[in-house]
Amino acid sequence: MARIMADFLFCLLCMVYTPPTLRERRRYLRFEVLCERHVDKRAVLKEIWDSLYALYGDLGASESKLWLIEYHPTEDGTRGVGIIRCAHNRVEEVRAALACIHVIDTARIGIRVVKTSGTIKGATK
Amino acid sequence: MPAYIDLNVHAYPETETPAEDLLRVAKRYGFAQIAITNDDSHVLQECSLDDLILGVEIQAQTVTELKRKLRQFGGKGIVIAVHGGDEKINRAAVENPKVDILTHPYSEKGESALSYVLVRFAAENGVAIDFNMDALIQSRRGERARILSKMREQLKLVRKYKAPMILTSHAHSIYDLRAPRELIALAALFGMTGEEALRALSETPRGVVAKRWKKEGEVEVLGWRE
Repeated sequence: MARIMADFLFCLLCMVYTPPTLRERRRYLRFEVLCERHVDKRAVLKEIWDSLYALYGDLGASESKLWLIEYHPTEDGTRGVGIIRCAHNRVEEVRAALACIHVIDTARIGIRVVKTSGTIKGATK
Repeated sequence: MPAYIDLNVHAYPETETPAEDLLRVAKRYGFAQIAITNDDSHVLQECSLDDLILGVEIQAQTVTELKRKLRQFGGKGIVIAVHGGDEKINRAAVENPKVDILTHPYSEKGESALSYVLVRFAAENGVAIDFNMDALIQSRRGERARILSKMREQLKLVRKYKAPMILTSHAHSIYDLRAPRELIALAALFGMTGEEALRALSETPRGVVAKRWKKEGEVEVLGWRE
Protein backbone atom coordinates (compact mmCIF):
# COMPACT_ATOMS: atom_id res chain seq x y z
CA MET A 1 0.00 0.00 0.00
CA ALA A 2 2.83 2.38 0.96
CA ARG A 3 4.40 1.65 -2.39
CA ILE A 4 1.25 2.65 -4.21
CA MET A 5 1.00 5.85 -2.19
CA ALA A 6 4.60 6.66 -3.03
CA ASP A 7 3.93 6.07 -6.72
CA PHE A 8 0.92 8.30 -6.53
CA LEU A 9 2.85 11.16 -4.91
CA PHE A 10 5.63 10.73 -7.44
CA CYS A 11 3.10 11.08 -10.26
CA LEU A 12 1.66 14.19 -8.69
CA LEU A 13 5.06 15.82 -8.32
CA CYS A 14 6.74 14.95 -11.59
CA MET A 15 4.19 14.41 -14.26
CA VAL A 16 2.04 16.72 -16.23
CA TYR A 17 -1.61 16.33 -15.35
CA THR A 18 -3.50 14.29 -17.97
CA PRO A 19 -7.23 14.79 -18.18
CA PRO A 20 -9.23 11.60 -17.51
CA THR A 21 -10.46 11.34 -21.09
CA LEU A 22 -6.91 11.23 -22.43
CA ARG A 23 -5.61 8.71 -19.96
CA GLU A 24 -4.79 5.21 -21.08
CA ARG A 25 -7.46 2.73 -20.17
CA ARG A 26 -6.00 -0.02 -18.09
CA ARG A 27 -6.89 -3.30 -16.52
CA TYR A 28 -5.35 -4.71 -13.41
CA LEU A 29 -5.10 -8.49 -13.25
CA ARG A 30 -4.60 -10.25 -9.97
CA PHE A 31 -2.91 -13.57 -10.61
CA GLU A 32 -2.04 -16.54 -8.50
CA VAL A 33 1.05 -18.66 -9.00
CA LEU A 34 1.28 -22.26 -7.87
CA CYS A 35 4.95 -23.15 -7.69
CA GLU A 36 7.21 -26.03 -6.83
CA ARG A 37 9.55 -23.86 -4.79
CA HIS A 38 10.18 -20.20 -4.00
CA VAL A 39 10.58 -17.88 -7.01
CA ASP A 40 11.29 -14.17 -6.66
CA LYS A 41 9.59 -11.20 -8.24
CA ARG A 42 12.36 -10.50 -10.72
CA ALA A 43 12.22 -14.03 -12.15
CA VAL A 44 8.43 -13.90 -12.43
CA LEU A 45 8.55 -10.57 -14.28
CA LYS A 46 11.23 -11.82 -16.65
CA GLU A 47 9.25 -14.95 -17.41
CA ILE A 48 6.03 -13.01 -18.06
CA TRP A 49 7.81 -10.75 -20.54
CA ASP A 50 9.57 -13.69 -22.19
CA SER A 51 6.27 -15.46 -22.63
CA LEU A 52 4.66 -12.35 -24.07
CA TYR A 53 7.54 -11.83 -26.53
CA ALA A 54 7.49 -15.49 -27.52
CA LEU A 55 3.78 -15.45 -28.20
CA TYR A 56 3.20 -12.05 -29.83
CA GLY A 57 6.63 -10.72 -30.76
CA ASP A 58 7.98 -7.27 -29.95
CA LEU A 59 5.13 -5.48 -31.69
CA GLY A 60 2.35 -7.35 -29.94
CA ALA A 61 4.11 -7.13 -26.59
CA SER A 62 4.39 -3.36 -26.92
CA GLU A 63 0.64 -3.06 -27.41
CA SER A 64 -0.17 -4.86 -24.20
CA LYS A 65 1.64 -2.22 -22.06
CA LEU A 66 2.44 -4.71 -19.38
CA TRP A 67 3.62 -3.64 -15.93
CA LEU A 68 4.12 -5.71 -12.83
CA ILE A 69 2.65 -3.83 -9.90
CA GLU A 70 3.45 -6.26 -7.14
CA TYR A 71 4.27 -9.86 -6.45
CA HIS A 72 4.32 -11.57 -3.08
CA PRO A 73 5.39 -15.17 -2.63
CA THR A 74 3.97 -16.90 0.43
CA GLU A 75 6.15 -17.97 3.35
CA ASP A 76 6.52 -21.59 2.29
CA GLY A 77 7.05 -20.59 -1.34
CA THR A 78 4.42 -22.87 -2.85
CA ARG A 79 2.20 -19.97 -3.82
CA GLY A 80 2.45 -16.40 -4.91
CA VAL A 81 0.02 -13.61 -5.58
CA GLY A 82 0.66 -10.63 -7.81
CA ILE A 83 -0.96 -7.84 -9.75
CA ILE A 84 -0.06 -6.82 -13.29
CA ARG A 85 -1.35 -3.94 -15.31
CA CYS A 86 -2.13 -4.08 -19.02
CA ALA A 87 -4.04 -2.20 -21.70
CA HIS A 88 -7.80 -2.65 -21.32
CA ASN A 89 -8.24 -4.33 -24.71
CA ARG A 90 -5.37 -6.78 -24.29
CA VAL A 91 -6.62 -8.73 -21.29
CA GLU A 92 -7.23 -12.02 -23.13
CA GLU A 93 -3.86 -11.83 -24.87
CA VAL A 94 -2.07 -11.27 -21.58
CA ARG A 95 -4.09 -14.06 -20.02
CA ALA A 96 -2.94 -16.45 -22.75
CA ALA A 97 0.67 -15.36 -22.29
CA LEU A 98 0.40 -15.94 -18.54
CA ALA A 99 -1.12 -19.37 -19.10
CA CYS A 100 1.82 -20.32 -21.33
CA ILE A 101 4.32 -19.93 -18.52
CA HIS A 102 5.18 -23.36 -17.18
CA VAL A 103 8.69 -23.03 -15.77
CA ILE A 104 10.38 -20.26 -13.81
CA ASP A 105 14.02 -20.85 -12.85
CA THR A 106 13.59 -24.60 -13.46
CA ALA A 107 10.70 -24.71 -10.97
CA ARG A 108 7.45 -25.91 -12.49
CA ILE A 109 4.61 -23.45 -12.02
CA GLY A 110 0.99 -22.87 -12.95
CA ILE A 111 -0.58 -19.44 -13.24
CA ARG A 112 -4.18 -18.39 -13.21
CA VAL A 113 -5.82 -14.99 -13.26
CA VAL A 114 -8.07 -14.61 -10.26
CA LYS A 115 -9.60 -11.24 -10.94
CA THR A 116 -9.55 -8.39 -13.41
CA SER A 117 -10.44 -4.85 -12.50
CA GLY A 118 -10.11 -1.30 -13.71
CA THR A 119 -8.44 -0.15 -10.52
CA ILE A 120 -5.70 -1.49 -8.29
CA LYS A 121 -8.06 -1.26 -5.37
CA GLY A 122 -10.62 -3.43 -7.11
CA ALA A 123 -8.01 -6.01 -8.00
CA THR A 124 -6.67 -6.17 -4.44
CA LYS A 125 -10.03 -6.84 -2.83
CA MET B 1 -21.36 -20.62 -14.39
CA PRO B 2 -21.32 -23.79 -16.49
CA ALA B 3 -19.92 -26.99 -15.03
CA TYR B 4 -16.44 -27.24 -16.55
CA ILE B 5 -14.92 -30.65 -17.14
CA ASP B 6 -11.32 -31.48 -18.02
CA LEU B 7 -11.31 -34.83 -19.79
CA ASN B 8 -7.59 -35.50 -20.07
CA VAL B 9 -5.61 -35.55 -16.85
CA HIS B 10 -2.92 -38.07 -15.98
CA ALA B 11 -2.45 -39.10 -12.36
CA TYR B 12 -0.77 -41.67 -10.14
CA PRO B 13 0.20 -44.47 -10.96
CA GLU B 14 1.27 -43.09 -14.36
CA THR B 15 2.64 -39.89 -12.87
CA GLU B 16 3.71 -39.00 -9.34
CA THR B 17 0.71 -36.85 -8.49
CA PRO B 18 -2.25 -38.55 -6.81
CA ALA B 19 -5.66 -37.96 -8.35
CA GLU B 20 -6.95 -36.34 -5.13
CA ASP B 21 -4.39 -33.52 -5.37
CA LEU B 22 -5.24 -32.89 -9.02
CA LEU B 23 -8.94 -32.79 -8.25
CA ARG B 24 -8.38 -30.39 -5.34
CA VAL B 25 -6.45 -27.93 -7.53
CA ALA B 26 -8.89 -28.34 -10.43
CA LYS B 27 -11.81 -27.58 -8.11
CA ARG B 28 -9.99 -24.48 -6.92
CA TYR B 29 -9.56 -23.44 -10.55
CA GLY B 30 -13.28 -23.80 -11.18
CA PHE B 31 -13.65 -27.26 -12.68
CA ALA B 32 -16.61 -29.36 -11.62
CA GLN B 33 -15.10 -32.68 -12.64
CA ILE B 34 -11.92 -34.12 -14.11
CA ALA B 35 -11.34 -37.39 -15.91
CA ILE B 36 -8.24 -39.42 -15.16
CA THR B 37 -7.10 -40.89 -18.45
CA ASN B 38 -3.89 -42.71 -17.66
CA ASP B 39 -2.19 -44.75 -20.34
CA ASP B 40 -3.43 -48.31 -20.71
CA SER B 41 -0.71 -49.96 -18.63
CA HIS B 42 -1.30 -47.70 -15.60
CA VAL B 43 -5.08 -47.45 -15.42
CA LEU B 44 -6.58 -46.02 -12.26
CA GLN B 45 -8.94 -48.83 -11.31
CA GLU B 46 -11.16 -47.26 -8.71
CA CYS B 47 -11.71 -44.06 -6.84
CA SER B 48 -13.76 -42.95 -3.90
CA LEU B 49 -14.36 -39.41 -5.09
CA ASP B 50 -17.56 -38.48 -6.89
CA ASP B 51 -16.11 -35.85 -9.19
CA LEU B 52 -13.45 -38.07 -10.69
CA ILE B 53 -14.33 -39.71 -13.98
CA LEU B 54 -12.44 -42.88 -14.76
CA GLY B 55 -10.90 -43.25 -18.16
CA VAL B 56 -8.08 -44.70 -20.17
CA GLU B 57 -5.83 -43.39 -22.91
CA ILE B 58 -5.01 -46.23 -25.26
CA GLN B 59 -1.55 -46.20 -26.82
CA ALA B 60 -1.23 -48.44 -29.81
CA GLN B 61 1.40 -48.94 -32.47
CA THR B 62 -0.74 -50.94 -34.85
CA VAL B 63 -4.41 -51.12 -35.70
CA THR B 64 -4.69 -54.73 -34.44
CA GLU B 65 -3.22 -53.69 -31.10
CA LEU B 66 -5.72 -50.85 -30.90
CA LYS B 67 -8.64 -53.16 -31.63
CA ARG B 68 -7.45 -55.67 -29.03
CA LYS B 69 -7.18 -52.95 -26.40
CA LEU B 70 -10.58 -51.54 -27.32
CA ARG B 71 -12.08 -54.99 -26.72
CA GLN B 72 -10.27 -55.14 -23.40
CA PHE B 73 -11.52 -51.76 -22.12
CA GLY B 74 -14.83 -51.49 -23.94
CA GLY B 75 -18.06 -52.02 -22.06
CA LYS B 76 -16.62 -51.09 -18.67
CA GLY B 77 -18.32 -47.72 -18.68
CA ILE B 78 -15.09 -45.73 -18.63
CA VAL B 79 -14.10 -42.90 -20.94
CA ILE B 80 -11.96 -44.31 -23.73
CA ALA B 81 -9.44 -41.98 -25.32
CA VAL B 82 -7.05 -43.02 -28.06
CA HIS B 83 -3.61 -41.52 -28.42
CA GLY B 84 -3.54 -40.66 -32.11
CA GLY B 85 -0.82 -39.23 -34.29
CA ASP B 86 -0.25 -42.01 -36.75
CA GLU B 87 -2.51 -41.78 -39.78
CA LYS B 88 -3.70 -45.40 -39.51
CA ILE B 89 -4.37 -45.19 -35.78
CA ASN B 90 -6.33 -41.95 -36.28
CA ARG B 91 -8.44 -43.61 -38.91
CA ALA B 92 -9.11 -46.75 -36.89
CA ALA B 93 -10.06 -44.60 -33.88
CA VAL B 94 -12.57 -42.32 -35.60
CA GLU B 95 -14.17 -45.25 -37.42
CA ASN B 96 -14.94 -47.01 -34.16
CA PRO B 97 -17.93 -45.76 -32.15
CA LYS B 98 -16.53 -47.40 -29.01
CA VAL B 99 -13.91 -44.66 -28.90
CA ASP B 100 -14.94 -41.50 -27.03
CA ILE B 101 -11.98 -39.19 -27.58
CA LEU B 102 -9.12 -38.94 -30.07
CA THR B 103 -6.19 -37.13 -28.43
CA HIS B 104 -3.07 -35.67 -30.07
CA PRO B 105 -4.35 -36.29 -33.61
CA TYR B 106 -1.69 -34.16 -35.27
CA SER B 107 1.27 -36.29 -36.22
CA GLU B 108 4.79 -35.58 -35.06
CA LYS B 109 6.22 -35.71 -38.55
CA GLY B 110 4.60 -32.57 -39.88
CA GLU B 111 2.22 -34.10 -42.39
CA SER B 112 -1.37 -32.92 -42.27
CA ALA B 113 -3.31 -33.88 -39.18
CA LEU B 114 -6.82 -35.12 -39.75
CA SER B 115 -8.12 -35.15 -43.28
CA TYR B 116 -11.72 -34.11 -43.88
CA VAL B 117 -12.68 -37.78 -44.31
CA LEU B 118 -11.54 -38.59 -40.80
CA VAL B 119 -13.28 -35.59 -39.27
CA ARG B 120 -16.50 -36.63 -41.00
CA PHE B 121 -16.16 -40.12 -39.54
CA ALA B 122 -15.54 -38.59 -36.12
CA ALA B 123 -18.73 -36.57 -36.43
CA GLU B 124 -20.72 -39.65 -37.46
CA ASN B 125 -19.38 -41.88 -34.72
CA GLY B 126 -19.40 -39.27 -31.98
CA VAL B 127 -15.65 -39.37 -31.41
CA ALA B 128 -14.62 -36.10 -29.78
CA ILE B 129 -11.53 -34.40 -31.20
CA ASP B 130 -9.27 -33.30 -28.40
CA PHE B 131 -7.40 -29.98 -28.51
CA ASN B 132 -4.57 -30.40 -26.02
CA MET B 133 -3.59 -27.05 -24.63
CA ASP B 134 -0.44 -28.41 -23.01
CA ALA B 135 1.06 -28.62 -26.51
CA LEU B 136 0.84 -24.81 -26.66
CA ILE B 137 2.00 -24.32 -23.07
CA GLN B 138 5.04 -26.57 -23.13
CA SER B 139 6.40 -25.75 -26.59
CA ARG B 140 8.01 -22.61 -27.96
CA ARG B 141 8.90 -21.02 -31.30
CA GLY B 142 8.88 -23.26 -34.36
CA GLU B 143 7.28 -26.17 -32.60
CA ARG B 144 4.44 -24.04 -31.24
CA ALA B 145 3.93 -22.31 -34.57
CA ARG B 146 3.54 -25.70 -36.21
CA ILE B 147 1.05 -26.89 -33.60
CA LEU B 148 -0.96 -23.66 -33.81
CA SER B 149 -1.32 -23.91 -37.58
CA LYS B 150 -2.30 -27.58 -37.25
CA MET B 151 -4.96 -26.71 -34.72
CA ARG B 152 -6.30 -23.93 -36.89
CA GLU B 153 -6.55 -26.29 -39.84
CA GLN B 154 -8.26 -28.90 -37.70
CA LEU B 155 -10.70 -26.41 -36.21
CA LYS B 156 -11.86 -25.45 -39.69
CA LEU B 157 -12.75 -29.06 -40.50
CA VAL B 158 -14.31 -29.72 -37.12
CA ARG B 159 -16.54 -26.68 -37.61
CA LYS B 160 -17.55 -27.77 -41.08
CA TYR B 161 -18.59 -31.30 -40.15
CA LYS B 162 -19.80 -30.38 -36.65
CA ALA B 163 -17.67 -33.02 -34.97
CA PRO B 164 -17.62 -32.82 -31.18
CA MET B 165 -14.49 -31.09 -29.89
CA ILE B 166 -13.12 -30.75 -26.40
CA LEU B 167 -10.46 -28.61 -24.76
CA THR B 168 -8.22 -30.34 -22.26
CA SER B 169 -5.08 -29.58 -20.28
CA HIS B 170 -3.45 -33.03 -20.61
CA ALA B 171 -1.96 -32.31 -17.20
CA HIS B 172 0.59 -34.62 -15.63
CA SER B 173 0.96 -32.66 -12.39
CA ILE B 174 -0.87 -29.92 -10.50
CA TYR B 175 1.41 -27.36 -12.17
CA ASP B 176 0.15 -28.32 -15.62
CA LEU B 177 -3.49 -27.62 -14.83
CA ARG B 178 -4.94 -24.37 -16.14
CA ALA B 179 -8.20 -22.67 -15.19
CA PRO B 180 -11.09 -22.69 -17.73
CA ARG B 181 -10.72 -19.00 -18.56
CA GLU B 182 -7.03 -19.52 -19.32
CA LEU B 183 -7.82 -22.48 -21.58
CA ILE B 184 -10.37 -20.34 -23.41
CA ALA B 185 -7.77 -17.58 -23.88
CA LEU B 186 -5.30 -20.16 -25.22
CA ALA B 187 -7.92 -21.55 -27.59
CA ALA B 188 -8.49 -18.04 -28.92
CA LEU B 189 -4.89 -18.12 -30.17
CA PHE B 190 -5.83 -20.48 -32.98
CA GLY B 191 -9.15 -18.87 -33.74
CA MET B 192 -11.65 -20.65 -31.52
CA THR B 193 -14.40 -18.29 -30.46
CA GLY B 194 -15.29 -17.85 -26.81
CA GLU B 195 -18.63 -19.55 -27.29
CA GLU B 196 -17.12 -22.60 -28.98
CA ALA B 197 -14.45 -22.87 -26.33
CA LEU B 198 -17.05 -22.66 -23.58
CA ARG B 199 -19.00 -25.48 -25.17
CA ALA B 200 -15.81 -27.50 -25.63
CA LEU B 201 -15.17 -27.23 -21.89
CA SER B 202 -18.63 -27.87 -20.48
CA GLU B 203 -21.39 -29.19 -22.69
CA THR B 204 -19.42 -31.44 -25.04
CA PRO B 205 -17.35 -33.20 -22.34
CA ARG B 206 -20.56 -33.82 -20.41
CA GLY B 207 -22.04 -35.39 -23.52
CA VAL B 208 -18.91 -37.47 -24.03
CA VAL B 209 -19.16 -38.86 -20.51
CA ALA B 210 -22.86 -39.61 -20.99
CA LYS B 211 -22.09 -41.00 -24.49
CA ARG B 212 -24.87 -38.80 -25.79
CA TRP B 213 -23.72 -38.87 -29.41
CA LYS B 214 -23.55 -42.62 -29.59
CA LYS B 215 -26.68 -43.81 -31.30
CA GLU B 216 -28.35 -47.06 -30.34
CA GLY B 217 -27.04 -49.99 -32.32
CA GLU B 218 -24.33 -47.88 -33.92
CA VAL B 219 -22.02 -50.87 -34.00
CA GLU B 220 -24.43 -52.87 -36.15
CA VAL B 221 -24.87 -50.00 -38.55
CA LEU B 222 -21.12 -49.86 -38.97
CA GLY B 223 -20.94 -53.60 -39.56
CA TRP B 224 -23.52 -53.25 -42.27
CA ARG B 225 -21.50 -50.56 -43.97
CA GLU B 226 -18.43 -52.75 -44.11
